[in-house]
Amino acid sequence: MDAVLSYIPLDITLIAENFDRFLYGVWTTLVLTFLALLVGGLFAIPMAIARASKHWLLNPIIWSFTYVFRGSPLLVQTYLIYFGLGQFEAVRESWLWDPILSSAWWCAFIAFSLNTAAYTTELLRGSIVDTPSGEVEAAIALGHSYYKRLRRVVLPSAFRRMIPAYSNEVIFMLHGSVIASTITLQDILGVGRWLNGRYYLAYEGFITAALLYFLIVLCITQLFRLLERRYLPHLRERDTTTDSAPLPGSIR
Amino acid sequence: MDLIVEYQAQLIAGTVMTIRLALTSLFIAVILGLLGAWAKLSNSRVAGFIANVYTTLIRGVPDLVLIMLVFFGGQVTINAIGAATGLWGYIDISQFIAGAGTIGLIFGAYFTETFRGAIMAIPTGQIEAGISCGMRRSLIFRHIIWPQMVRFALPGFTNNWLVLVKTTALVSVIGLQDLVYNAFTAGRSTRQLFTFMFATLVIYLLLTAVSDVLLRALERRYNRGVVRTN
Amino acid sequence: MIDAPALQVNDLYKSFGDNAVIKGVSMDASRGDVISILGASGSGKSTFLRCLNLLETPDSGDVFLAGEKMAMKRNRRGHQVPVDIRQVEKMRSRMAMVFQGFNLWSHMTVLDNVLEGPIYVQNVAKAEAKEKAYAMLERVGLSDRAKYYPAHLSGGQQQRVAIARALVMEPDVMLFDEPTSALDPELVGEVLEVMSNLAKEGRTMLVVTHEIAFARDVSTKTVFLHQGEICEEGPPDEILKSPKTEQLTTFLSRLS
Repeated sequence: MDAVLSYIPLDITLIAENFDRFLYGVWTTLVLTFLALLVGGLFAIPMAIARASKHWLLNPIIWSFTYVFRGSPLLVQTYLIYFGLGQFEAVRESWLWDPILSSAWWCAFIAFSLNTAAYTTELLRGSIVDTPSGEVEAAIALGHSYYKRLRRVVLPSAFRRMIPAYSNEVIFMLHGSVIASTITLQDILGVGRWLNGRYYLAYEGFITAALLYFLIVLCITQLFRLLERRYLPHLRERDTTTDSAPLPGSIR
Repeated sequence: MDLIVEYQAQLIAGTVMTIRLALTSLFIAVILGLLGAWAKLSNSRVAGFIANVYTTLIRGVPDLVLIMLVFFGGQVTINAIGAATGLWGYIDISQFIAGAGTIGLIFGAYFTETFRGAIMAIPTGQIEAGISCGMRRSLIFRHIIWPQMVRFALPGFTNNWLVLVKTTALVSVIGLQDLVYNAFTAGRSTRQLFTFMFATLVIYLLLTAVSDVLLRALERRYNRGVVRTN
Repeated sequence: MIDAPALQVNDLYKSFGDNAVIKGVSMDASRGDVISILGASGSGKSTFLRCLNLLETPDSGDVFLAGEKMAMKRNRRGHQVPVDIRQVEKMRSRMAMVFQGFNLWSHMTVLDNVLEGPIYVQNVAKAEAKEKAYAMLERVGLSDRAKYYPAHLSGGQQQRVAIARALVMEPDVMLFDEPTSALDPELVGEVLEVMSNLAKEGRTMLVVTHEIAFARDVSTKTVFLHQGEICEEGPPDEILKSPKTEQLTTFLSRLS
């Protein structure tokens, strides 16, 4: 075993000794990423509806929000919140400062949530607008009210059609979460950087981090494949050779 | 505002660096993208496999991790190889080379998909029509494939470019004196980080807005004669 | 009120911008009437149908469903708007529509498509709704396709599901908007057959169609629209066999 290890130009023992730190980094990364996706996603729903329905007041406001957050780097947004807000005395003395705005974790979380909210809003808006008009008309003709139409036909259909594009957003958010390490947080990359700094290594920490991120992306891709199977059966070709074969709705 | 004016030389220098970095990365990315698309569409299994590994790896690893790996790890590796083989002496990889190289590598993967899709979108009937007119291969490429590939690739190109410009901000983390780095230094020394970061944000918005307008105009030019169906 | 016609339309007008599409159309349908509405494309027949359940808002004119008036008022810009959108929704649920393009909800199974109305509009209990839905699917001959998604059915089957979806609402009036126009010729028959059976049961139906045979054999009354006005109307064998106007003669000669 040692003979094999000696051929690998990496200090495996050091990585193994510090692996618990890496696992903690994985936890930090996952919590930050998925909490931001959750909160950003929840905000995105009403914003996308307002954008899609061209609300006279809300639409331009939300458009400006998504334009700014989609048009500038997440790094700058994070810096603006973490380093920038402290410039104002009013912020430093407010009740928000101590538990939240002075904390790197909260600032990263806020920046990530706003960023993914902007991207998700535009994704969902596109998906809502693309709802076949005939399906909406059928819901109107059935007697559905505006909100029931939204809840029963437009949104379920839009969410499903959005799944493939949203998987990209999730992966981009995971990629973006490394910015947390630039404001002192010990996410996966943060631990990698720490390891390299601590033991004067050139790439062990980064390689380990890269592998861990790669594994997470694989899991996300797999998860979305399952979601597509579950929620997009109507977009799949059905097997016409065996007409009485298991029905698409019953495949779980 | 006065502060911004006072530090405008630094901000402008940073912006120029950001643009230089973005254009250099774009150049590398387009070349890699064309190679990747060619590999994926070629009949060679090996080339296709390599291209698939490339795009999967890039999609799996965050940009900043790769940038740091290349900047800190690449330096050591190259010099170790140089020392072992005696082929070259000490080489210093600058932040610019590491950044442009890595971002080029990353976006090469995205351009691979863009170009592949664009080439596949060209109706084969048009190429057959060219052949049946007696056109030579080179003529078919120049007159039929290339203009249409550009047309089909432009929307994806625009999108990749906009993302690329924003990604260059990460190179400030390894110390390249780009827009973010210079603004951050100025902001720190004046204790006005919000002002400077906000100015940075606005400059990025301007960069993306200008790119957007120019590239959409180009799209319209290449879309002449195409009826929009939706 | 018991004697009120199932559907009554008084002097309906509708224009899109400067283009007047419906110019004063009135129509009565008694219970059990099957009215086929013919007309060249652009004659306004589909628009007329869509004005009845307010998919298009008419400029003026009244619609009564079993004696109940769809209450409209004018807004500040002088456009007609519903007084009470709840009433409109309620009335829509009582006049089910079948569309040219089927318009089944693609993300729902056949069964869910049929269940949507009873459960979420009429608030029928789930078990009861399911029973009704299966009965309706049986009626259109598709109970074995309940768990399929619309995309996995033929056009004719999709349209039959759409009819089941309309039928399960137990509507006072059924509106058919060119139900066979989007179908391949070999699939038209199965849909027309379902519709004939409904007619025989005594359903009140308004059918915009190009199928002269259906108009002649099934409907109790035929209306010919020309440039937004009723050009000729009457019992189908009379007006189809011996048209009185030049327009209908031309229309019929082009079809045969």
